[in-house]
Amino acid sequence: METTDLNLFVRTSEETLSDWDRTKIVDALVRETLIDRETANEISKEAERLIRTSNIKVVTAPLIREIVNAKLIEKGLEGARRMHTRLGMPIYDVDNLILHPNKENANVPHGPEATNLTLAERIKKEYALLTVFSQDVADAHMNGDIHLHDLGFIDRPYCSGQSVEYIKRFGLDLPHSLSMAKPARQPEVLLAHLIKFAAALQSNFAGAIGWDAVNIFFAPYIQGMSDNEVKQLAQMLIFEFSQQAVARGGQAIFSDINIYWEVPKHFVDTPAIGPGGTPTGKTYGEYEKEAQRFAWKLFEVYKEGDGAGRPFFFPKPIVHITERFFKTPGHMDFLNHISDVAADKGNTYFVFDRGETAKISECCRLSFKLDEHDLRDAQEPWRMRYCALQNVSLNLPRIAYMAKGDDTKLFKTITDRFVLAVKAHKEKRAFLERLLALGENGPLSLLTMTRDGMPYLRFNLASHLIGMVGLNEMVQIHTGEELHKSKKALKFGLKVIAHMNLLAEKMKRQEGLRLLLEQTPAESTSYRFARLDLRYFSPASGRVVKGNIVTGEVYYTNSTHLNVKEFMNPIERVTQEGIFHPLIEAGSISHIWLGEAHPTKEAIADFVIKTFKHTTNDQIAFSPEFTTCNSCHRTGRGLTDTCMYCGSTDVDGITRITGYFTKVSSWNKGKLGELKDRYRNAEFFVDNEIAVNQ
Amino acid sequence: MSMECNIPIKGFIETSFIDWKGRLSSVVFTGGCNFRCPFCHNRDLVLNHEKMENIPLDYILLTLRKYKKWIDHVVITGGEPTIHGSLFKLTGTLKMEGFRIKLDTNGSSPATIKGLVNENLIDYIAMDVKGPISHYKRWCGIDVETAKIEESIQFILSGKIDYEFRMTVVPFFHRVEDVYEVAEYVKDAKRFYIQEFRPKNTLNPRFTEIKPFSPQKMEEIRKNVNQILEDRSQKTEGRRNPRSTMHDTR
Repeated sequence: METTDLNLFVRTSEETLSDWDRTKIVDALVRETLIDRETANEISKEAERLIRTSNIKVVTAPLIREIVNAKLIEKGLEGARRMHTRLGMPIYDVDNLILHPNKENANVPHGPEATNLTLAERIKKEYALLTVFSQDVADAHMNGDIHLHDLGFIDRPYCSGQSVEYIKRFGLDLPHSLSMAKPARQPEVLLAHLIKFAAALQSNFAGAIGWDAVNIFFAPYIQGMSDNEVKQLAQMLIFEFSQQAVARGGQAIFSDINIYWEVPKHFVDTPAIGPGGTPTGKTYGEYEKEAQRFAWKLFEVYKEGDGAGRPFFFPKPIVHITERFFKTPGHMDFLNHISDVAADKGNTYFVFDRGETAKISECCRLSFKLDEHDLRDAQEPWRMRYCALQNVSLNLPRIAYMAKGDDTKLFKTITDRFVLAVKAHKEKRAFLERLLALGENGPLSLLTMTRDGMPYLRFNLASHLIGMVGLNEMVQIHTGEELHKSKKALKFGLKVIAHMNLLAEKMKRQEGLRLLLEQTPAESTSYRFARLDLRYFSPASGRVVKGNIVTGEVYYTNSTHLNVKEFMNPIERVTQEGIFHPLIEAGSISHIWLGEAHPTKEAIADFVIKTFKHTTNDQIAFSPEFTTCNSCHRTGRGLTDTCMYCGSTDVDGITRITGYFTKVSSWNKGKLGELKDRYRNAEFFVDNEIAVNQ
Repeated sequence: MSMECNIPIKGFIETSFIDWKGRLSSVVFTGGCNFRCPFCHNRDLVLNHEKMENIPLDYILLTLRKYKKWIDHVVITGGEPTIHGSLFKLTGTLKMEGFRIKLDTNGSSPATIKGLVNENLIDYIAMDVKGPISHYKRWCGIDVETAKIEESIQFILSGKIDYEFRMTVVPFFHRVEDVYEVAEYVKDAKRFYIQEFRPKNTLNPRFTEIKPFSPQKMEEIRKNVNQILEDRSQKTEGRRNPRSTMHDTR
């Protein structure tokens, strides 16, 4: 039959109406798949016959494609069908997406920009699973054995750590940007460069953008400024970061700033760069006072909160507590100052760098230990740019269901999953390598710029993260006891993580990849794993998942954490959780949920010092809860249904979801389940309320 | 309660961030109280303490020792600890273990307070002042010898050991002026904290229906109380450091 016989219009993807042309099917099949022209011709005829007999008047390109796909399957050409697949979404889903908020990531607001982000993420996710990863990796992700994080950002590395020195030295000279800025001469200009660069980086990374030693590197610009001016600068920095909600998908930049009271040892003798990108002739060690002034003012701003008294969500301030910290004058005042913020607003992260290790922290939990090579870089700190290419988490409870109490099987399955995760890393790495190879004309041109003689993204130094979800539940299934229940259970958990640590070490050597364990923040993964296991491993999973099965608010305990619901002395929590931290190189944290309680700053400071001295815990944060009113714009303590000032019911709850503060209304169901369960240490914080020995 | 019998310990918090301002502490609750303040939020400790299980002192000591490198401050609260003669034994034992001790009291037993202080058995004392002395029966629910309350206040004010006074403000029960009257009365004090009332588990169940003051109202009261104490310090001892203010940060 002739194509002209068919009186059909086709709505093409180029937004035109074309006359029916069967040869287009043939061309597409030959272009996109590996089948021969003759088979393609045959398939196109069959497709045409089907369309003709169906009496459709207007055919869409996607419909033709699916019909052709059906024909491919009939012929057993599964491989060709895969290559010929069209990515996209049903109308129903797009409709929902445009009208309703995204709950997978609470840092995504609801709006047209956010919708664009989600649409793009969906398609890139499908693309990744179909083309970047091999079938077994993609299947393991789909069925919930492992989780490949940020698949929607498949064409970017995962997260990164930056140095302010880079923009101080080279100014803001980004590929393809409309103008080039020379190194800043004024502190405000440096700040503007910093924020713009962070926004540019956010478009090139999936996750967090961390900045190392921000107060130290700003110090040369601060010299000679009055206290009020420094405060103003601190205010600008925090507001600019937290209000940068016009960048990618309307998201705020997920940003961290690392702060030191002392000048860290590795920067003491580093020549300082000052205004105009020129060396000041002094070392950073000589700017300690200025750096401290800036750090102090930053925390004054955190203490005040935003215009409605709410805590700032970003940038997250990470304070490094080191041996040197305790030898630096004024450290107790500063510790009380930041503990005051922790008690009042919760912002402060206390990171413990014990002994001689230098560390910088990146994402929710991710931190990098600086090795010798990095310490040489410290003399030229603009080189200190780090990144992790991807994060893959293992579903630990599932491994336990499958092992059925058999130790050997349990550890073997962990190994198998681990190897699969490494395979996933190699596949993403190869994909990114292809993108980066396109250089300044490629999609990641920003990361390939070579202002200091080497590409901005130091690919050979990039890390690959392997995380874990639900160690607590794994141990519960396998031994019958949760981690906190007995020394034996805790020990078994330790054995599991030690095994993973060893695997990382072995495969690092074997594959030549920097593989690191990380405590996955798993904002939605712990919910996803729990849901999938309820489907596949019922009824056993029904007894193990945490939260409320009836309402669907279910979750697994994050990473290696202990049950969040458990009545537990905070000393025991930071001590026991801390046992795992030395095995998890890329960073860990213990949360102390405060609820509405408001401990004194000195008690928090005391607790921080003792956690540093008596435990191996890597990082702690205190998380209060707030209710902010949309009518009177004031913020009170605790999660309540009505405003405690004006009684309005138009309120939002705010507390820490995983690594950052956000509105509770944006949380996914799993996290809501966890929120209800969180044991808030009320007995330890609320005034004399307990009287009964339990 | 005889001297021989061990003090009835009914509650124990291993780690508290708030009971001893400025540091981590452990908290020991004794059962029984001679007052019947209707707004008391430790109802069971006052009315049902005999039905509550005793926590053996040995258990407490073992736990305290276990966390000694974290916590070496212990708060003894109630109920009312000073109604037990065996309080001397408890504080003595804890002192020998090397702990610093804070006592929470309603001030009804100045003799016990003096004894503990003179024997160096406590390091810090926090006394609740329930309201203006003139209507003490209304505040504490029993006939009380107000002379004893006043004696305790005067003794504590003499400053042999570090101390604080505090008052819980209950809307409708206290008038705001009552707070200022108490502030005026203890204006020589180093510290006077205003505490928020919590409508939970109160001794008189009807008090659970009282809504606490709004945060602004509390702030206003604290500011005024602050003013009263500052005025005094300026008049009499203007050169002294501004006394620790009422900024009860909780």
